[in-house]
Amino acid sequence: MLKFKIVTPEKTIYENEIFQVTIPTMEGEITVLPNHIPLISVLKAGELKFKDKEGQQQMAVSGGFLEVRGKNEIVILADHAQRVAEIDIDKAEEARARAEEQMANLKNAQDVDYAKLQAVIDRELNKLKVVKKYRKLP
Amino acid sequence: MAINTKVIKRRLKSIGSTKKITKAMEMIAAAKMRKAVNAAIDTRAYAGLAWELLVDLSKTQKEQVPLLATRPVEKILMIIITSNRGLCGSFNANIIKKTAAQMTREKAAVDVVGIGKKGADFAKKMGYNLTAAFTNMTDTPNFDDALPIAKMVIDAYEKKSYDKVIVAYTDFKSALVQTARLRQVLPISESDLEKTLAEITELSDDKTVVKNNLTDYLFEPNRLDVLKIILPRLVETQIYQTMLESSASEHSSRMVAMKNASEAAKDMISELNLTFNKARQAGITQEIAEIAGGAMALE
Repeated sequence: MLKFKIVTPEKTIYENEIFQVTIPTMEGEITVLPNHIPLISVLKAGELKFKDKEGQQQMAVSGGFLEVRGKNEIVILADHAQRVAEIDIDKAEEARARAEEQMANLKNAQDVDYAKLQAVIDRELNKLKVVKKYRKLP
Repeated sequence: MAINTKVIKRRLKSIGSTKKITKAMEMIAAAKMRKAVNAAIDTRAYAGLAWELLVDLSKTQKEQVPLLATRPVEKILMIIITSNRGLCGSFNANIIKKTAAQMTREKAAVDVVGIGKKGADFAKKMGYNLTAAFTNMTDTPNFDDALPIAKMVIDAYEKKSYDKVIVAYTDFKSALVQTARLRQVLPISESDLEKTLAEITELSDDKTVVKNNLTDYLFEPNRLDVLKIILPRLVETQIYQTMLESSASEHSSRMVAMKNASEAAKDMISELNLTFNKARQAGITQEIAEIAGGAMALE
Protein backbone atom coordinates (compact mmCIF):
# COMPACT_ATOMS: atom_id res chain seq x y z
CA MET A 1 0.00 0.00 0.00
CA LEU A 2 1.04 3.55 -0.71
CA LYS A 3 0.23 6.52 1.44
CA PHE A 4 -1.19 8.93 -1.09
CA LYS A 5 -2.00 12.58 -0.68
CA ILE A 6 -2.98 15.14 -3.26
CA VAL A 7 -3.16 18.79 -2.25
CA THR A 8 -3.83 22.01 -4.13
CA PRO A 9 -3.16 25.49 -2.82
CA GLU A 10 -6.82 25.69 -1.92
CA LYS A 11 -7.26 22.41 -0.10
CA THR A 12 -6.38 18.78 0.36
CA ILE A 13 -8.30 16.87 -2.31
CA TYR A 14 -7.66 13.30 -1.35
CA GLU A 15 -5.70 11.48 1.31
CA ASN A 16 -5.76 7.71 1.71
CA GLU A 17 -3.95 4.45 1.19
CA ILE A 18 -3.86 3.26 -2.38
CA PHE A 19 -2.41 0.38 -4.39
CA GLN A 20 -1.00 2.29 -7.32
CA VAL A 21 -1.16 5.63 -9.07
CA THR A 22 -0.58 6.73 -12.65
CA ILE A 23 0.54 10.31 -13.05
CA PRO A 24 1.04 12.51 -16.13
CA THR A 25 4.50 14.15 -15.87
CA MET A 26 6.55 16.34 -18.17
CA GLU A 27 8.63 13.31 -19.08
CA GLY A 28 5.64 11.15 -19.85
CA GLU A 29 3.15 9.14 -17.89
CA ILE A 30 4.50 7.20 -14.94
CA THR A 31 2.96 4.65 -12.63
CA VAL A 32 4.06 4.47 -9.03
CA LEU A 33 3.80 1.19 -7.19
CA PRO A 34 4.84 0.41 -3.62
CA ASN A 35 8.60 0.47 -2.94
CA HIS A 36 9.24 3.05 -5.61
CA ILE A 37 12.56 4.89 -5.21
CA PRO A 38 12.37 8.49 -3.98
CA LEU A 39 11.51 10.77 -6.87
CA ILE A 40 10.64 14.38 -7.50
CA SER A 41 9.03 15.28 -10.77
CA VAL A 42 6.91 17.91 -12.46
CA LEU A 43 3.29 17.33 -13.37
CA LYS A 44 1.65 18.07 -16.65
CA ALA A 45 -2.04 18.71 -17.29
CA GLY A 46 -3.79 15.42 -17.81
CA GLU A 47 -5.47 12.53 -16.18
CA LEU A 48 -4.40 10.98 -12.91
CA LYS A 49 -5.57 7.47 -12.15
CA PHE A 50 -5.27 5.62 -8.91
CA LYS A 51 -6.54 2.41 -7.42
CA ASP A 52 -7.75 2.30 -3.88
CA LYS A 53 -9.93 -0.12 -1.98
CA GLU A 54 -12.99 1.09 -3.84
CA GLY A 55 -11.42 0.44 -7.23
CA GLN A 56 -10.10 2.65 -9.99
CA GLN A 57 -10.60 6.40 -9.68
CA GLN A 58 -9.77 9.27 -11.99
CA MET A 59 -8.89 12.90 -11.50
CA ALA A 60 -8.16 15.77 -13.81
CA VAL A 61 -4.97 17.53 -12.72
CA SER A 62 -3.12 20.47 -14.20
CA GLY A 63 0.45 21.28 -13.29
CA GLY A 64 2.37 20.90 -10.07
CA PHE A 65 4.85 18.45 -8.55
CA LEU A 66 4.96 15.02 -7.23
CA GLU A 67 7.20 13.70 -4.56
CA VAL A 68 7.67 10.03 -3.90
CA ARG A 69 9.19 9.70 -0.47
CA GLY A 70 10.79 6.67 1.01
CA LYS A 71 8.52 4.48 3.11
CA ASN A 72 5.85 4.21 0.44
CA GLU A 73 4.63 7.75 0.65
CA ILE A 74 3.57 9.83 -2.30
CA VAL A 75 2.59 13.46 -2.20
CA ILE A 76 1.23 15.44 -5.12
CA LEU A 77 1.17 19.21 -5.06
CA ALA A 78 -1.15 20.06 -7.91
CA ASP A 79 -2.14 23.49 -9.13
CA HIS A 80 -5.59 22.23 -9.69
CA ALA A 81 -7.21 18.84 -9.24
CA GLN A 82 -10.75 17.61 -9.42
CA ARG A 83 -12.27 14.18 -9.35
CA VAL A 84 -13.95 13.09 -12.51
CA ALA A 85 -17.20 12.45 -10.68
CA GLU A 86 -17.21 16.02 -9.41
CA ILE A 87 -16.56 17.73 -12.71
CA ASP A 88 -19.50 19.58 -14.11
CA ILE A 89 -19.27 19.45 -17.90
CA ASP A 90 -21.50 22.44 -18.49
CA LYS A 91 -19.65 24.54 -15.99
CA ALA A 92 -16.27 23.59 -17.40
CA GLU A 93 -17.47 24.32 -20.93
CA GLU A 94 -18.87 27.63 -19.81
CA ALA A 95 -15.69 28.62 -17.97
CA ARG A 96 -13.61 27.78 -21.01
CA ALA A 97 -15.88 29.73 -23.33
CA ARG A 98 -15.80 32.72 -21.00
CA ALA A 99 -12.02 32.63 -20.75
CA GLU A 100 -11.65 32.38 -24.51
CA GLU A 101 -13.99 35.26 -25.02
CA GLN A 102 -12.06 37.41 -22.56
CA MET A 103 -8.86 36.43 -24.28
CA ALA A 104 -10.22 37.54 -27.63
CA ASN A 105 -11.29 40.84 -26.13
CA LEU A 106 -7.93 41.70 -24.69
CA LYS A 107 -5.51 41.38 -27.52
CA ASN A 108 -3.12 44.01 -26.27
CA ALA A 109 -3.54 43.45 -22.55
CA GLN A 110 -0.75 42.79 -20.10
CA ASP A 111 0.81 39.37 -20.18
CA VAL A 112 -0.43 38.80 -16.64
CA ASP A 113 -4.03 38.49 -17.75
CA TYR A 114 -3.02 36.58 -20.81
CA ALA A 115 -1.13 33.94 -18.86
CA LYS A 116 -3.94 33.64 -16.35
CA LEU A 117 -6.56 33.13 -19.02
CA GLN A 118 -4.43 30.67 -20.90
CA ALA A 119 -4.03 28.68 -17.70
CA VAL A 120 -7.79 28.68 -17.19
CA ILE A 121 -8.41 27.52 -20.74
CA ASP A 122 -5.85 24.72 -20.46
CA ARG A 123 -7.28 23.61 -17.19
CA GLU A 124 -10.87 23.53 -18.37
CA LEU A 125 -9.95 21.83 -21.62
CA ASN A 126 -8.12 19.17 -19.70
CA LYS A 127 -11.09 18.66 -17.42
CA LEU A 128 -13.37 18.27 -20.40
CA LYS A 129 -11.02 15.86 -22.09
CA VAL A 130 -10.78 13.65 -19.04
CA VAL A 131 -14.46 13.77 -18.29
CA LYS A 132 -15.50 12.95 -21.83
CA LYS A 133 -13.34 9.89 -21.80
CA TYR A 134 -15.31 8.42 -18.93
CA ARG A 135 -18.78 9.63 -19.51
CA LYS A 136 -20.99 8.85 -22.42
CA LEU A 137 -22.01 11.98 -24.16
CA PRO A 138 -25.73 12.47 -24.57
CA MET B 1 -40.81 68.93 28.54
CA ALA B 2 -42.89 67.55 25.73
CA ILE B 3 -40.22 68.54 23.21
CA ASN B 4 -37.55 66.87 25.29
CA THR B 5 -39.27 63.50 25.23
CA LYS B 6 -39.70 63.80 21.49
CA VAL B 7 -35.98 64.42 20.99
CA ILE B 8 -35.08 61.49 23.19
CA LYS B 9 -37.51 59.26 21.39
CA ARG B 10 -35.98 60.14 18.05
CA ARG B 11 -32.49 59.37 19.32
CA LEU B 12 -33.66 56.08 20.74
CA LYS B 13 -35.05 55.09 17.39
CA SER B 14 -31.91 56.00 15.50
CA ILE B 15 -29.65 54.16 17.95
CA GLY B 16 -31.96 51.17 17.73
CA SER B 17 -31.61 50.98 13.96
CA THR B 18 -27.85 51.49 14.15
CA LYS B 19 -27.71 48.62 16.56
CA LYS B 20 -29.63 46.45 14.16
CA ILE B 21 -27.13 47.23 11.43
CA THR B 22 -24.06 46.59 13.58
CA LYS B 23 -25.59 43.36 14.82
CA ALA B 24 -26.19 42.19 11.25
CA MET B 25 -22.67 43.20 10.24
CA GLU B 26 -21.30 41.29 13.19
CA MET B 27 -23.06 38.15 12.11
CA ILE B 28 -22.00 38.51 8.49
CA ALA B 29 -18.40 39.10 9.55
CA ALA B 30 -18.52 36.01 11.76
CA ALA B 31 -19.72 33.84 8.89
CA LYS B 32 -17.12 35.26 6.51
CA MET B 33 -14.43 34.84 9.10
CA ARG B 34 -15.22 31.17 9.49
CA LYS B 35 -14.96 30.71 5.75
CA ALA B 36 -11.68 32.60 5.52
CA VAL B 37 -10.17 30.74 8.46
CA ASN B 38 -11.04 27.41 6.89
CA ALA B 39 -9.51 28.48 3.61
CA ALA B 40 -6.35 29.61 5.42
CA ILE B 41 -6.07 26.28 7.20
CA ASP B 42 -6.60 24.36 3.98
CA THR B 43 -3.68 26.14 2.30
CA ARG B 44 -1.33 25.33 5.09
CA ALA B 45 -1.03 21.72 3.96
CA TYR B 46 0.17 22.76 0.51
CA ALA B 47 2.39 25.53 1.76
CA GLY B 48 3.95 23.26 4.37
CA LEU B 49 4.77 20.53 1.87
CA ALA B 50 6.09 22.94 -0.73
CA TRP B 51 8.31 24.68 1.83
CA GLU B 52 9.72 21.41 3.00
CA LEU B 53 10.62 20.39 -0.48
CA LEU B 54 12.33 23.69 -1.05
CA VAL B 55 14.22 23.69 2.23
CA ASP B 56 15.67 20.31 1.34
CA LEU B 57 16.38 21.35 -2.21
CA SER B 58 18.19 24.52 -1.30
CA LYS B 59 20.21 22.72 1.33
CA THR B 60 21.70 20.10 -0.90
CA GLN B 61 23.05 22.52 -3.44
CA LYS B 62 23.45 26.16 -4.29
CA GLU B 63 21.94 26.64 -7.66
CA GLN B 64 22.10 29.90 -9.53
CA VAL B 65 18.41 30.60 -9.73
CA PRO B 66 17.40 34.25 -9.95
CA LEU B 67 14.77 33.94 -7.26
CA LEU B 68 17.29 32.67 -4.73
CA ALA B 69 19.93 35.30 -5.50
CA THR B 70 20.56 37.86 -2.80
CA ARG B 71 21.78 41.24 -3.86
CA PRO B 72 22.79 44.32 -1.92
CA VAL B 73 19.48 45.95 -1.10
CA GLU B 74 18.95 49.20 -2.93
CA LYS B 75 15.30 49.06 -3.74
CA ILE B 76 12.49 47.39 -1.83
CA LEU B 77 9.01 46.46 -2.88
CA MET B 78 6.51 46.54 -0.05
CA ILE B 79 3.19 44.80 -0.51
CA ILE B 80 0.58 46.06 1.92
CA ILE B 81 -2.46 43.89 2.43
CA THR B 82 -5.37 45.83 3.88
CA SER B 83 -9.13 45.78 3.60
CA ASN B 84 -11.24 47.55 1.02
CA ARG B 85 -13.72 48.77 3.56
CA GLY B 86 -13.50 50.32 6.97
CA LEU B 87 -15.48 49.61 10.12
CA CYS B 88 -13.10 46.93 11.20
CA GLY B 89 -11.55 48.36 14.34
CA SER B 90 -7.82 48.94 14.32
CA PHE B 91 -7.17 46.39 11.58
CA ASN B 92 -5.97 48.82 8.94
CA ALA B 93 -4.40 51.23 11.41
CA ASN B 94 -2.20 48.48 12.84
CA ILE B 95 -0.90 47.27 9.53
CA ILE B 96 -0.26 50.79 8.32
CA LYS B 97 1.55 51.71 11.50
CA LYS B 98 3.76 48.66 11.20
CA THR B 99 4.54 49.38 7.56
CA ALA B 100 5.26 53.06 8.16
CA ALA B 101 7.67 52.19 10.96
CA GLN B 102 9.48 49.74 8.73
CA MET B 103 9.65 52.18 5.84
CA THR B 104 11.27 54.90 7.90
CA ARG B 105 13.78 52.37 9.15
CA GLU B 106 14.80 51.16 5.70
CA LYS B 107 17.61 53.04 4.10
CA ALA B 108 16.78 51.77 0.64
CA ALA B 109 14.13 53.28 -1.58
CA VAL B 110 10.70 51.75 -1.13
CA ASP B 111 7.97 51.20 -3.68
CA VAL B 112 4.53 50.10 -2.64
CA VAL B 113 1.97 47.68 -3.99
CA GLY B 114 -1.39 48.02 -2.32
CA ILE B 115 -3.78 45.13 -1.98
CA GLY B 116 -6.98 46.64 -0.67
CA LYS B 117 -8.11 50.22 -0.91
CA LYS B 118 -6.93 51.41 2.48
CA GLY B 119 -3.30 50.47 1.93
CA ALA B 120 -3.27 52.10 -1.48
CA ASP B 121 -4.80 55.27 -0.04
CA PHE B 122 -2.20 55.35 2.68
CA ALA B 123 0.67 55.03 0.20
CA LYS B 124 -0.78 57.81 -1.94
CA LYS B 125 -1.26 60.10 1.02
CA MET B 126 2.24 59.53 2.35
CA GLY B 127 3.75 60.16 -1.05
CA TYR B 128 5.22 56.72 -1.57
CA ASN B 129 5.58 55.46 -5.05
CA LEU B 130 2.54 53.27 -5.55
CA THR B 131 3.40 50.98 -8.44
CA ALA B 132 0.21 48.95 -8.45
CA ALA B 133 -3.03 48.69 -6.53
CA PHE B 134 -5.27 45.65 -6.40
CA THR B 135 -8.49 46.96 -4.98
CA ASN B 136 -10.97 44.56 -6.50
CA MET B 137 -10.27 41.67 -4.18
CA THR B 138 -13.23 39.74 -2.88
CA ASP B 139 -13.83 38.94 0.75
CA THR B 140 -12.58 35.43 0.30
CA PRO B 141 -9.72 35.54 -2.17
CA ASN B 142 -9.04 32.45 -4.23
CA PHE B 143 -5.78 31.24 -5.63
CA ASP B 144 -6.33 32.85 -9.02
CA ASP B 145 -6.47 36.26 -7.34
CA ALA B 146 -2.97 35.81 -6.02
CA LEU B 147 -1.48 34.84 -9.37
CA PRO B 148 -1.27 38.25 -11.08
CA ILE B 149 0.30 39.77 -7.99
CA ALA B 150 2.83 36.98 -7.70
CA LYS B 151 3.66 37.19 -11.39
CA MET B 152 4.26 40.91 -11.21
CA VAL B 153 6.50 40.51 -8.16
CA ILE B 154 8.52 37.68 -9.65
CA ASP B 155 9.03 39.47 -12.95
CA ALA B 156 10.15 42.63 -11.19
CA TYR B 157 12.59 40.69 -9.06
CA GLU B 158 14.04 38.79 -11.96
CA LYS B 159 14.50 42.04 -13.88
CA LYS B 160 16.36 43.33 -10.82
CA SER B 161 13.98 46.25 -10.42
CA TYR B 162 13.83 45.33 -6.74
CA ASP B 163 16.29 43.64 -4.43
CA LYS B 164 13.87 42.64 -1.73
CA VAL B 165 10.14 42.03 -1.55
CA ILE B 166 8.28 42.27 1.73
CA VAL B 167 4.64 41.56 2.43
CA ALA B 168 2.94 43.41 5.25
CA TYR B 169 -0.06 41.40 6.36
CA THR B 170 -2.06 40.58 9.44
CA ASP B 171 -1.46 37.21 10.97
CA PHE B 172 -4.55 35.49 12.23
CA LYS B 173 -3.85 33.90 15.59
CA SER B 174 -7.38 33.61 16.90
CA ALA B 175 -10.68 35.45 16.62
CA LEU B 176 -9.47 37.89 19.26
CA VAL B 177 -5.76 38.14 18.49
CA GLN B 178 -4.35 39.33 15.20
CA THR B 179 -0.91 40.80 14.74
CA ALA B 180 0.47 42.91 11.95
CA ARG B 181 3.50 41.24 10.46
CA LEU B 182 6.15 41.60 7.80
CA ARG B 183 7.31 38.66 5.79
CA GLN B 184 10.14 38.62 3.31
CA VAL B 185 8.99 36.88 0.17
CA LEU B 186 11.96 37.46 -2.06
CA PRO B 187 14.78 36.57 -2.13
CA ILE B 188 13.90 33.22 -0.66
CA SER B 189 16.44 32.77 2.08
CA GLU B 190 17.13 29.64 4.00
CA SER B 191 16.78 31.09 7.49
CA ASP B 192 13.44 32.63 6.56
CA LEU B 193 12.33 29.36 5.11
CA GLU B 194 12.99 27.43 8.25
CA LYS B 195 11.28 30.07 10.35
CA THR B 196 8.18 30.02 8.19
CA LEU B 197 8.15 26.28 8.04
CA ALA B 198 8.34 26.07 11.81
CA GLU B 199 5.39 28.43 12.03
CA ILE B 200 3.36 26.46 9.55
CA THR B 201 3.96 23.09 11.08
CA GLU B 202 3.26 24.51 14.48
CA LEU B 203 -0.10 25.74 13.28
CA SER B 204 -1.23 22.71 11.35
CA ASP B 205 -2.10 19.43 12.97
CA ASP B 206 -0.03 17.56 10.45
CA LYS B 207 3.02 16.57 12.43
CA THR B 208 3.80 13.45 10.48
CA VAL B 209 6.37 15.26 8.40
CA VAL B 210 9.60 13.31 8.20
CA LYS B 211 12.87 14.85 7.17
CA ASN B 212 14.18 13.08 4.14
CA ASN B 213 17.63 12.93 2.77
CA LEU B 214 17.28 14.44 -0.66
CA THR B 215 20.56 13.10 -1.94
CA ASP B 216 19.06 9.79 -2.95
CA TYR B 217 16.18 11.38 -4.78
CA LEU B 218 15.68 11.01 -8.46
CA PHE B 219 14.79 14.21 -10.26
CA GLU B 220 12.79 14.44 -13.42
CA PRO B 221 13.65 16.28 -15.64
CA ASN B 222 16.50 17.57 -13.39
CA ARG B 223 17.13 19.47 -10.18
CA LEU B 224 17.44 22.86 -11.73
CA ASP B 225 14.20 22.57 -13.67
CA VAL B 226 12.33 21.34 -10.63
CA LEU B 227 13.70 24.24 -8.62
CA LYS B 228 12.81 26.71 -11.33
CA ILE B 229 9.23 25.54 -11.31
CA ILE B 230 8.81 25.21 -7.60
CA LEU B 231 10.13 28.65 -6.66
CA PRO B 232 7.50 30.78 -8.39
CA ARG B 233 4.87 28.41 -7.07
CA LEU B 234 6.09 29.05 -3.57
CA VAL B 235 5.95 32.78 -4.01
CA GLU B 236 2.39 32.45 -5.27
CA THR B 237 1.40 30.24 -2.37
CA GLN B 238 2.96 32.59 0.09
CA ILE B 239 1.18 35.60 -1.27
CA TYR B 240 -2.06 33.66 -1.38
CA GLN B 241 -1.58 32.60 2.20
CA THR B 242 -0.88 36.08 3.47
CA MET B 243 -3.99 37.26 1.65
CA LEU B 244 -6.08 34.61 3.34
CA GLU B 245 -4.62 35.34 6.76
CA SER B 246 -5.34 39.01 6.26
CA SER B 247 -8.85 38.31 5.13
CA ALA B 248 -9.52 36.12 8.16
CA SER B 249 -8.08 38.83 10.38
CA GLU B 250 -10.12 41.54 8.72
CA HIS B 251 -13.36 39.71 9.26
CA SER B 252 -12.62 38.78 12.82
CA SER B 253 -11.56 42.29 13.74
CA ARG B 254 -14.69 43.62 12.07
CA MET B 255 -16.71 41.13 14.02
CA VAL B 256 -15.18 42.27 17.28
CA ALA B 257 -15.60 45.94 16.38
CA MET B 258 -19.26 45.41 15.50
CA LYS B 259 -19.83 43.44 18.66
CA ASN B 260 -18.46 46.34 20.67
CA ALA B 261 -20.62 48.76 18.73
CA SER B 262 -23.75 46.69 19.35
CA GLU B 263 -22.98 46.52 23.03
CA ALA B 264 -22.35 50.25 23.24
CA ALA B 265 -25.66 50.82 21.49
CA LYS B 266 -27.40 48.55 23.96
CA ASP B 267 -25.96 50.50 26.92
CA MET B 268 -26.92 53.78 25.32
CA ILE B 269 -30.46 52.58 24.71
CA SER B 270 -31.00 51.53 28.30
CA GLU B 271 -29.59 54.81 29.54
CA LEU B 272 -31.74 56.83 27.18
CA ASN B 273 -34.79 54.79 28.13
CA LEU B 274 -34.25 55.79 31.72
CA THR B 275 -33.93 59.48 30.85
CA PHE B 276 -36.92 59.21 28.59
CA ASN B 277 -39.06 57.71 31.35
CA LYS B 278 -37.88 60.34 33.79
CA ALA B 279 -38.71 63.09 31.34
CA ARG B 280 -42.12 61.62 30.63
CA GLN B 281 -42.80 61.31 34.37
CA ALA B 282 -41.67 64.87 34.90
CA GLY B 283 -43.94 66.01 32.08
CA ILE B 284 -46.97 64.27 33.55
CA THR B 285 -46.24 65.58 37.04
CA GLN B 286 -45.94 69.07 35.67
CA GLU B 287 -49.19 68.80 33.74
CA ILE B 288 -51.03 67.62 36.85
CA ALA B 289 -49.50 70.44 38.83
CA GLU B 290 -50.63 72.90 36.18
CA ILE B 291 -54.20 71.56 36.14
CA ALA B 292 -54.29 71.54 39.91
CA GLY B 293 -52.89 75.07 39.91
CA GLY B 294 -55.51 76.18 37.35
CA ALA B 295 -58.35 74.59 39.34
CA MET B 296 -57.08 76.24 42.50
CA ALA B 297 -56.99 79.62 40.82
CA LEU B 298 -60.66 79.24 39.72
CA GLU B 299 -61.88 78.61 43.22
